[in-house]
Amino acid sequence: MSTQNEIVNSIIKFIDSDSTNEKEFNDLSIQIFAYQYENNIPFRQFAVQQGSSPRTAKTWRDIPPVPINAFKSVFLSCCEPSSLGRTFMTSGTTQDGIKGRSYHPILDVYDASMKKNFKERFLGDLDDLEKIKMGILFPDESSMPNSSLAHYLSLSIKQFGTHCSRYYLDSHGINFEQLFKDLECAQNTRTAFALLGASFSIVHLLDKMEQENQRFNLPAGSRILDTGGFKGQSREIEQEDFYNQLSTAFGIPRSSCVNMYGMTELSTQFYDNGNETCPAIKTGPHWIKSRVVDPLTRKDVPKGKPGVLVHCDLAHFNIVSTILTEDAGIEVNDGFILSGRVDGENAKGCSMAVDEFLRATK
Amino acid sequence: MTKFTENAGHIPDFLLADIKWHHLEFEDGADTVHVKVPMLTPEQCTQLSDKIKISSNNFLRQEKVSDIVELIDKAIERLLNRDDPFRIKAEQLLPIVTGFDKEMVRLSLTDYLKTFRKPQLLKFLNEDFPNPKILDEFQPAIKGGFAKAFGPNCLLHIWAGNVPGLPLWSFISGLLVKAGNIGKVSSSEPLFASWFAKILIEIEPKISDCLAILWWEGGKLEQENILLRAADVVLAYGGNDPLKQIQDRTPITTRYLPYGHKISFGVVSANVLDAQKSWSVAHNAANDIARYDQHGCYSPHIFFVEHGGHISPRDFAQYIANELSCFQEKFPRRSLTANEAIEIAKWRNQQEVLALSQPDAEIFSDKDGAWTVCFSECPGKFSPGGLNRTIRVVSVSTLETIIPLILPYKKFLQTVGIAATPKELFQLSETLGRSGITRICALGSMTKPEAGWHHDGRYNLLDLITLTEIESSAETASEFFANYTD
Repeated sequence: MSTQNEIVNSIIKFIDSDSTNEKEFNDLSIQIFAYQYENNIPFRQFAVQQGSSPRTAKTWRDIPPVPINAFKSVFLSCCEPSSLGRTFMTSGTTQDGIKGRSYHPILDVYDASMKKNFKERFLGDLDDLEKIKMGILFPDESSMPNSSLAHYLSLSIKQFGTHCSRYYLDSHGINFEQLFKDLECAQNTRTAFALLGASFSIVHLLDKMEQENQRFNLPAGSRILDTGGFKGQSREIEQEDFYNQLSTAFGIPRSSCVNMYGMTELSTQFYDNGNETCPAIKTGPHWIKSRVVDPLTRKDVPKGKPGVLVHCDLAHFNIVSTILTEDAGIEVNDGFILSGRVDGENAKGCSMAVDEFLRATK
Repeated sequence: MTKFTENAGHIPDFLLADIKWHHLEFEDGADTVHVKVPMLTPEQCTQLSDKIKISSNNFLRQEKVSDIVELIDKAIERLLNRDDPFRIKAEQLLPIVTGFDKEMVRLSLTDYLKTFRKPQLLKFLNEDFPNPKILDEFQPAIKGGFAKAFGPNCLLHIWAGNVPGLPLWSFISGLLVKAGNIGKVSSSEPLFASWFAKILIEIEPKISDCLAILWWEGGKLEQENILLRAADVVLAYGGNDPLKQIQDRTPITTRYLPYGHKISFGVVSANVLDAQKSWSVAHNAANDIARYDQHGCYSPHIFFVEHGGHISPRDFAQYIANELSCFQEKFPRRSLTANEAIEIAKWRNQQEVLALSQPDAEIFSDKDGAWTVCFSECPGKFSPGGLNRTIRVVSVSTLETIIPLILPYKKFLQTVGIAATPKELFQLSETLGRSGITRICALGSMTKPEAGWHHDGRYNLLDLITLTEIESSAETASEFFANYTD
């Protein structure tokens, strides 16, 4: 049976290999499944409940996907709590207020996955060691140590940001004054600027810019990365509008406005190739695979039909690699289109639905 | 593939020429229904409510309550007649509009309509008025003097939901107290109330100006506010959030009767769990789950099953699963939207995760996810099911242990379907009543409330009326002024 070290080494080697070989992916996914089945007791129980085991699984598609709400109520980890280095938690916007948790004994795999993928998908046109001035619209890692997004953004700035990159959001909100000054400077000195942050913070920024009649014309090579969507935030806007507004406000083509889809329950992110057209197709690197399933039968739906997304992320080695999300999606050519998180479809009758009940009895 | 077009709503003739129509589309498989609903301007809303008040004064209020009962009875008779064009339409279109199984709609409609025939309507009246003539003329009051009950001159109904025929309950109550009725139909089932109004008018054309069946977009406050101000009584169905918004816009002097979403559940005593009776009890339980796919406020979300019978609670859960599987053959569950399927999946995923920490838990489910039974030895927290034929079955040591579980949710409870001995029934009913339950019925009848049922424990008719009393002092004093006085 593999040790944690062996698993970690195999994964990092696979990430570095650029292998698109289906068999290699399957073999490693089953090896990780076996490791998790052996060491993660609640997961083993779950797999047994689903009638699945590493012995019977032939490909990653045979690994039982764990519903993401299990991350809230069950301790899913292959190692003891004492040897956990870092715990990432979901932002806790769900109605029951319980946060999903992902336990990471070490962050080596998470970091390797993030960096390679981020470089390729968001900074693909830059030379290997080239850096870019970054502005982050999210709190820094020290103020949100349990946020995987804070860690992600901190990696991006450390690894790929020039020394004058900075955070523009803290407990006092967005530092608009400084941000506008820096954007103006980037515009005047023709220095490429990368703005990264939570989608709803960027919406706040757009609102402020509109209020103050502020616009920039950032130089070529500038880009924007937003993530998280806007559900439940102060204002929801359509994707089309959002990217149009971004493009107009910063003078950046929509093709340089990238949306990242990530989850606390994963160690790998998905990106689109800009939002020239919406909804844009999301794809991941060779160490993550997705399928779209019928939420009730968990069987693959025909290509092009809506369902919920199942991801098998080899980098998420300590918890469970294969998860059943609550995100609706449609499979297309080499990736998927995200149709958003599905919340509270109202029952049409006069019987009380779970969401309404939780709200009413809070 | 069949395409149907149907005009819903009813507008008195004087306004008809200038009405704008809105189109609602419904689809089930290959069949579509295109429904036109009338949409009034704010000015038209004012004209309409004025007209309805005058007409109901001139006609409905002059009628005897027994004549109104006859009229409703005739209309219901037509809807029960399977050769009547309206009945044919109902059987054809309601399954497409609501997605519910055709045969289930047909059977449930008949059951439901039977509660509004003449003998049942008399029960309705008698439940609330020991002497229904009080609706026609001043009647002697027990305390002395005389009293007459007046229905609202204008009663506004805001209906919601997709359970076919549901608006009939308040619509008929309004008619029985001789109210002018304005009803807003729900976007998910705009037809039934409209048909009922049309049949009434075919039988008695004079009632046409006393009724209106309308539709407006949720959030179109201008129209709604005018009608809320015009009405004497407002009766609204829906979730608590929309109900609260309506309440905030209803004048303080207007009586507001909100009917919020509710949770119901089933109770099975150990005494009924023997080899012989258990199957029929499970069959009835599954029937309550399958009827309208748990969309009714009276539909069960959870079954509490007592330990100690010959059949264990776990086996009973399995029985329910088997019965649900049979119902799926007979009356398949309505097809779900992608979102609804995800909602059920979320609920089921959660149950699966809970089962990880409860070794005794078990989930029975159909391979296509058409129904799910989640069994647990530990009742845990009281919570709703995922709807659309998903049910929790939990075992309890004694029936009394249910009470502390449900008590925190008193405000949201409604019906209990019960299978127990007579002694248990009355013992438990006392504590259930204290815990907020307003209706206790046999399993298998949860979705079929009997005629005269007090919806959410309230009076269907008494809540609508105001009483005008002639005190005995007035009567005595009047004698003094009579010209025949000595």
